[in-house]
Amino acid sequence: MTATASRRPPGRRSRARRQGGSRVLSALVGLVLLGGAVGLQTRNLTPNEMDAPITTVGAKGQEVNAGRFAVRVTSVTVARAVQAGTKKVETEQLFLIVQASATSATKPMHLAAPALLTPDGVSYDATDKIEPSETLANPWVQPEFWVSGNFVFEIPASALEGARVVFKLPGSALVEPYEPEAEVDLGIDGPEAARLKSAPSDVYILKKS
Amino acid sequence: MTEPSGGSNKPKRPVVVPAVALVAFTALGITALLGGFAEVPDPAPPQYGEGAVLDQGQFSTQFVTAKVATQKAKADWDTDKRFVELTFKVTNQGKATAMVGLPPSKPEGSISATSFAGSLVKVTPQVQAKGVPTVYSLSKNAQSGQLQPGVPTTVILRYDLDGAAKPPQKVTLDVAGFAYEPGFNDPSFHWSLISEETDSEESGSGVPGSGVPGNGRRPVVQAQVTLPVHGAEAT
Repeated sequence: MTATASRRPPGRRSRARRQGGSRVLSALVGLVLLGGAVGLQTRNLTPNEMDAPITTVGAKGQEVNAGRFAVRVTSVTVARAVQAGTKKVETEQLFLIVQASATSATKPMHLAAPALLTPDGVSYDATDKIEPSETLANPWVQPEFWVSGNFVFEIPASALEGARVVFKLPGSALVEPYEPEAEVDLGIDGPEAARLKSAPSDVYILKKS
Repeated sequence: MTEPSGGSNKPKRPVVVPAVALVAFTALGITALLGGFAEVPDPAPPQYGEGAVLDQGQFSTQFVTAKVATQKAKADWDTDKRFVELTFKVTNQGKATAMVGLPPSKPEGSISATSFAGSLVKVTPQVQAKGVPTVYSLSKNAQSGQLQPGVPTTVILRYDLDGAAKPPQKVTLDVAGFAYEPGFNDPSFHWSLISEETDSEESGSGVPGSGVPGNGRRPVVQAQVTLPVHGAEAT
């Protein structure tokens, strides 16, 4: 205390007041630091977030490059039934058909079945009612080639608005941290969702990619 | 801290301590004679019947019905098939697609289950069926192995009856539940079947988990649902 007091120019304030003031000030600084530290703790990643893949975000029509692969969503259709080959599959919900093309960066690969993500964090895996062999998960995705195909989701109509599609690497026995994934915003806003909802096509015929 | 004159508390100590010890030992002895501190068996899980709705955490499940279904032979060389079909109405309450899965062959086998049918821990009596049962969701004649979040889905558990096997009059399902919590050695949150540690005495040997499928854990039976099997001939 005496050291700090002697360094300051004497005579501006009384010693007692300066000490009291600095005490209040340091208490305040301490509280701010403490609050800051506690506040920073709340920004810690949860274990689920720590394990999450690294996501590249883009929109419909853009080429979204996730590093090891790139995808481009070209169009989105809604239907009540999907015909793949000779098999027609109906649904009580809606089928959302996403037409996309993909390419790989360095080596041939397959895309995994993607998931559809709503703004409130609900995720719908691509439906297994359509065989994977009829979708873009089937063909080889190779460097320098763009291969196109469809993915089909079965979702309730309420999941249309603000939906995004997350494309992933296929699962492997080797567990890899921070896998790349590409998240594509389908650009379905309120009016567009209402339009898609009101007029789904009766049958969508999947063209084999 | 001087001794109070008269020493009135001096005879007290030799009396109180042995008395307490005597009472304690007697109580312990009586307890030991009566069988010791044996654990009271868990109360039987609540019983439900046809049409009951159960909240399993990840799933909200209605146990709709059980029936014997037949399928006529499609060709001369084919024989009529009989099935025991259990019908459920399942709503996935999680935030991601779940699988329908398969019921475990042994109750302990389900402790790492992440699928709906994995929570059907035990079916009694055992249905005499060919191989493992099939489980699928059904909507507009389209079968699926998925349960999309928030969508009530009909799920069918189907046993292919052995040729001469008699279908049971009623089946009782031991149903477990799921909790969204970190795993045993994995801090991330996910849905997992609620299980408890097995007592080492029950598992036969002294070491918990030795030789027991499920690493010494068993699923907690949340409820028992008894469904009459419609169409099973009375004997």
